[in-house]
Amino acid sequence: MKLLDPTILRVFDDASTEPCLLGAQCGHCGTVVFPQMPVCPSCLRDDMMEEAEIGRRGVLYSHTIAHFAPAGFKAPYFQGFVDLPEGPRIFTLISSACPVEHGVLEDGMAMRLVVEPLADTPENREALTYKYVPDTRSGGKASHA
Amino acid sequence: MRDVVILGVGAHPSGRFPEKALKDLAFSAIREACSDAGVGARDIQVAYVGNSLGGLLTGQEGVRGQVMLQHAGITGIPVVNVENACASAATALRGAWLEVASGAADVALAVGAEKMFIGDSARTVAALSAVSEIDLSRMGMQFTTSYAIHPKINLKGRMKEYGWTMEDLAKPAVKNSANGALNPIAQHRRGLSIEEVVQSRVVVEPLTLLMCSSISDGAAAAVLCAAELAPRYTSDRPIRIAACVLRSGAYRLPDDGREDSAAVSAKAAYEQAGIGPQDIGAIELHDAMAPAELMLYERLGLCGPGEGPRLIDEGVTRIGGRQPVNPSGGLCSRGHPVGATGLLQIAELVSQMRGRAGPRQIERPPKVTMAQNQGGLLLGQDSAVYACTILSV
Repeated sequence: MKLLDPTILRVFDDASTEPCLLGAQCGHCGTVVFPQMPVCPSCLRDDMMEEAEIGRRGVLYSHTIAHFAPAGFKAPYFQGFVDLPEGPRIFTLISSACPVEHGVLEDGMAMRLVVEPLADTPENREALTYKYVPDTRSGGKASHA
Repeated sequence: MRDVVILGVGAHPSGRFPEKALKDLAFSAIREACSDAGVGARDIQVAYVGNSLGGLLTGQEGVRGQVMLQHAGITGIPVVNVENACASAATALRGAWLEVASGAADVALAVGAEKMFIGDSARTVAALSAVSEIDLSRMGMQFTTSYAIHPKINLKGRMKEYGWTMEDLAKPAVKNSANGALNPIAQHRRGLSIEEVVQSRVVVEPLTLLMCSSISDGAAAAVLCAAELAPRYTSDRPIRIAACVLRSGAYRLPDDGREDSAAVSAKAAYEQAGIGPQDIGAIELHDAMAPAELMLYERLGLCGPGEGPRLIDEGVTRIGGRQPVNPSGGLCSRGHPVGATGLLQIAELVSQMRGRAGPRQIERPPKVTMAQNQGGLLLGQDSAVYACTILSV
């Protein structure tokens, strides 16, 4: 298995270091974007964006269950947007550890990043990507800390 | 800039036409538009041809416009190919408008065509996903998802925020299906009930199948000309392009305080035309998922936050109401052959303004109308393309 896109996701050999997303932070105004881009969308400086490890935690902004899947995916599946404490709001799939049922997710939940195959299908079984899962270790409470 | 008018429009019906290639669909619309305009192939000095999915679906990746126009007997002139997702045709219209407005050409043709039924719906769905930034679509993001939970529309969130019910979300589809039932070129010509729409299969919660536009073949075209030259070609009422606005999405972070991009493009169009929302007599808007119409009412300035369902309840946006919206049936009933949609909207508005919309004719033909078209999806939390055109007589 290999990463779907190593420019957006970093995993560590040392299992005690959690995987993270690769964003970029503007050294001038502090804006954080995901994925990385060379120009800051806020202050338009084009020489100050530095790679930033982000997204280990987040808060669920919105979610839904898709009952129709494009090729390479299996329905039903969760889709959501997660607010990262660093700034960006990103589209994400939800870990296969979550049963796809009502009541499993709630907007505002604390989430944490996991690395999983994109989908359990022949096309995507070998492609690892980021997903989010409710962060039970935080007691389920959202925190931007 | 010179005043530009639409001399004539043409539209191929939307639906499934297995025997017709992309260029056949386009030809039908071009021929009708030229005939309506009173121009011949030799009068056309420049053409902009919108198409979105033809590269992936027909294999004709390059020069689709020239291929379509050659088939229609139009050769030699400058042809510009336009790909701008679901707003390809509105973008083609803008190119043709600029050519004439600038004085570079006197007569210009705008075409939009799409062939989506290719006998393999999985491939069509995949091609549709490819008009969003690929980083999103490869992660399983779908257009339906974007309407359901994407921050810019977030219908699920609006239900909580505004207290909208599933019945409220169904109202635009019901209203527009009644209009589409009266439209001979509509793909779906059956009036729907609230119950049917709510109870149809769930696609992406809270959207049901009958709230979503479907795969469609179709085409539309418009012939534009400098206002002062119009009498040379037609005695029919020329329709002036009072505003033609094209914008791209912004990169938005969650705390972005800037106005919604659809609202920005509408405001720019109102300003260009020197009018306000209250002056618009009919609107064709981009309801790829019908409940989006409720949000677009707000963004076009027709009502305040959350008031969309009330506008439909009070009949304001029905044919016969004060500001009819989607008299053609909109994207869900008339059809959404993506690269043709922007010009299908224009063709409908021109027909309404000329009083020839048949059983769905607005009783007093509107003098000022608006077409709102958008497309694609960017990582930066916005659609890629926003187009807004105002027509007047």
